[in-house]
Amino acid sequence: MNHSEAVPDETIDLQVIQSVHRRRRMAHKRNRVPLWMLIPAVVLLVIVVVAPFLVSIYTSFTKLDQYTIANWTAAPFVGLKNYLSALHQGNALGASALQSVWVSVAFSVLTTLIITPIGIIAALLVHHPFRGRRWVRALFLLPYVMPVFVNAITWRLLFMNGWGVIDRVLAFLHIASKNTFWLIGPNSFWAMTIADVWSSWPFIYLMVLAGLQNIPGDLYESATIDGASRVRSFFSITLPMLRPILALALLLSTLNHFNNFTLPFMMFGTPPSPQADVLPLNVYVTSFQTFNFGLGAAMSMLTLILMMIPAFFYIRMLRLGEATS
Amino acid sequence: MTSLIAQRAHWNRLRMLGIVIFGLAILLPMAYVILISLTPDTEVGGGAIFPTHIAWNNYAMMWQTVHLASDIKNSILIAGVTGICATVIALGAAYVIARFQFRGRKTFLYALVTMQTIPQVMMLLPLFVIFVIIQNAISVHLVGQYYTVIITYMTFALPFACWLLLSYMANIPVDLEEAGLMDGCTRLQVLRYVVLPLVLPGMVVTFVFSFLLAWSDVLFASVLTGPATQTVAVGLQAYIASGDAGGDVLWGQLMAASLTSGIPIVIIFLFLQKYIIGGLANGAVKG
Repeated sequence: MNHSEAVPDETIDLQVIQSVHRRRRMAHKRNRVPLWMLIPAVVLLVIVVVAPFLVSIYTSFTKLDQYTIANWTAAPFVGLKNYLSALHQGNALGASALQSVWVSVAFSVLTTLIITPIGIIAALLVHHPFRGRRWVRALFLLPYVMPVFVNAITWRLLFMNGWGVIDRVLAFLHIASKNTFWLIGPNSFWAMTIADVWSSWPFIYLMVLAGLQNIPGDLYESATIDGASRVRSFFSITLPMLRPILALALLLSTLNHFNNFTLPFMMFGTPPSPQADVLPLNVYVTSFQTFNFGLGAAMSMLTLILMMIPAFFYIRMLRLGEATS
Repeated sequence: MTSLIAQRAHWNRLRMLGIVIFGLAILLPMAYVILISLTPDTEVGGGAIFPTHIAWNNYAMMWQTVHLASDIKNSILIAGVTGICATVIALGAAYVIARFQFRGRKTFLYALVTMQTIPQVMMLLPLFVIFVIIQNAISVHLVGQYYTVIITYMTFALPFACWLLLSYMANIPVDLEEAGLMDGCTRLQVLRYVVLPLVLPGMVVTFVFSFLLAWSDVLFASVLTGPATQTVAVGLQAYIASGDAGGDVLWGQLMAASLTSGIPIVIIFLFLQKYIIGGLANGAVKG
């Protein structure tokens, strides 16, 4: 804009006037925010997320069940009763909500801790070029690319009692009996963890692979010149440089695992053993099999409150303003 | 010098070993699935690992035992439309957020990120209730229709889609667009002729991830679809349900059907692998 102001009066000719006009028009155009492009996204979010969220809060304070669902606004208001019973007894079929909280926390933290070193090692294996690397990279993605429901069915098959291949191998090696019962009872937690580790480690692998590409190569060169071993440069260069992306990956992984419904649902069916009754599954069974909608809503509110802890750190880490300006 | 070469050889051997271990861990379960998919149902629970004969029959019978063909068609339709719509809607939203400052911009961003942390199971029941309310108000059937489940998936795909496209938009120089505006283009034309070609790789990644989300979902599909619109994920449950009901699970057919529903996704992914790793790297590093 300074440019047009700097033009002396006497040299103003038609061309300059046109140019000023054009710039004005452009500035106008530039300032007009095409908010209508945002409208579809906002409408969808309101219908599919915000409105149900509000309904969910309301429902958690009512005694909503299969008899009152037809006229849900008339369901009796019971205050905090649902929340109290969520903490005490839970639904009639499975574990109490409180037990499910522990199962979920243990499951999501444990799997994240296990897949992190696996993912880092895998990424390091294929970071440097070698013949056939393309194929190895593709191979490493395979478990992650397979839909989770396929993986869950696969592991249900592998863990079948008596004739499943895992029981057979364990019996052959005299480690455990053929009847270990992986899919019911206390072992179901471990079956779920193993199946999940197998299908989710490539997430960390992908994130670390992305992070490795951003480490400048000369850091390693100078380390080699200084006589640092490879192991040493991994701990002194690679790991510190990966820290931001690893932190993000760990948080996202914990969040995703906490919300994982498909894997336990397809592996165990409903209701699962109490040891594998993760919170999402418990909410599902409470809502759709015992039809205690109010209790189910209260349990999901408790889940949400719990999720706010990692979510808070996640949002902080993204530094929304800076990332997009 | 020789020690350096020896060291390198040593690390190469270690790497080969690592790759072999990972490869076996990935491929052995899959090989077993393929094996079972070719085992006759009468031999699945038996003593031997390998079947007496290969039962190609499983791959023929699965189309009749469940409505596999119609389920796969539904999955392709639902996931495909979800992918396209989510990408287009996210493109508009990401463009506005990337290029303009306005009131509510930050709120919108926070809403997107917060959405990713909300447990989906929590939205299922209230969403169902809301669809029923709308259904009663305008007396049109919503539950069991394609568009209901598509709208749901689309919304759940939005946060990640916006986020990915945002990181691509950030890399497009503003000058290019201004040049377009200068030449008398409208906003929409700038978006179409300047921005779109440049974010195309990002749009491919966005489409694939939205597609995957819809293809893999079990939770919403099991409640929001009807017999005519059910996806393949729901269809496969019919096999397992027969086992839960006390009957025999047809493992051979189940594995054949699982592979059939998983392989197309694997192929898409492998074809677009380069884009996808690049896109993830882009989005992740930006975050």
